[in-house]
Amino acid sequence: MLVITRKKGESILIGDNIEISISKIEEGSVKLAINAPREMTILRKELYEEVEHENKEAVKMKLNIDVLKKLGKK
Amino acid sequence: MEIISPVHGKMIYEEKEIIYFEKGIPGFDELKKYIIKEVDEESPFKIMQSIENAELGFIIISPFEIKKDYEIKLSNEIIEALNIQNQKDVLLYSIVKLDSKIENITANLKAPLVININSKKGQQYILDKEDYNIREKVFNN
Repeated sequence: MLVITRKKGESILIGDNIEISISKIEEGSVKLAINAPREMTILRKELYEEVEHENKEAVKMKLNIDVLKKLGKK
Repeated sequence: MEIISPVHGKMIYEEKEIIYFEKGIPGFDELKKYIIKEVDEESPFKIMQSIENAELGFIIISPFEIKKDYEIKLSNEIIEALNIQNQKDVLLYSIVKLDSKIENITANLKAPLVININSKKGQQYILDKEDYNIREKVFNN
């Protein structure tokens, strides 16, 4: 893990085609400008973690086919 | 080919049914191969079973069963990753979280499974869209 300090306006280059620059610094938050190939996914980490958590929760309750058949039938 | 699930019993499938999730699914990154089986002709639910780990299966439902006007825009990233060439080849499913109380059963509309039935590739696609919930109630009445 590389930990690096940047001032407003400064940038970091990752690999050949990713650039992250510090757009704005306020108390409590930093605005980042990210330049990356369009095929790369960029996500807020907490959103990914929330989906990951939800997926793991989803598989906890195991109901077999016969019970599932009755679900959703009016 | 078959897989014996401790929950659903023996599930028979053919090679051509296998959907390949190159990135796995968040929380289960190592497992890439799944098959989708119907519960029965009437049920809105389906089972997405891992063929690499018999213990892992998801219950899924089409998001359109919950929101008729469900609509998403696919990024270039996922279009390329799944080799999507035609909109008609795209299937969407939401992972369902079961509950002992039927009214608490929810589906993840915010991160649908996007499947290209032509290339047999899939990916869980996380939307940044505010109006779709991670836990949307399946049974609304």
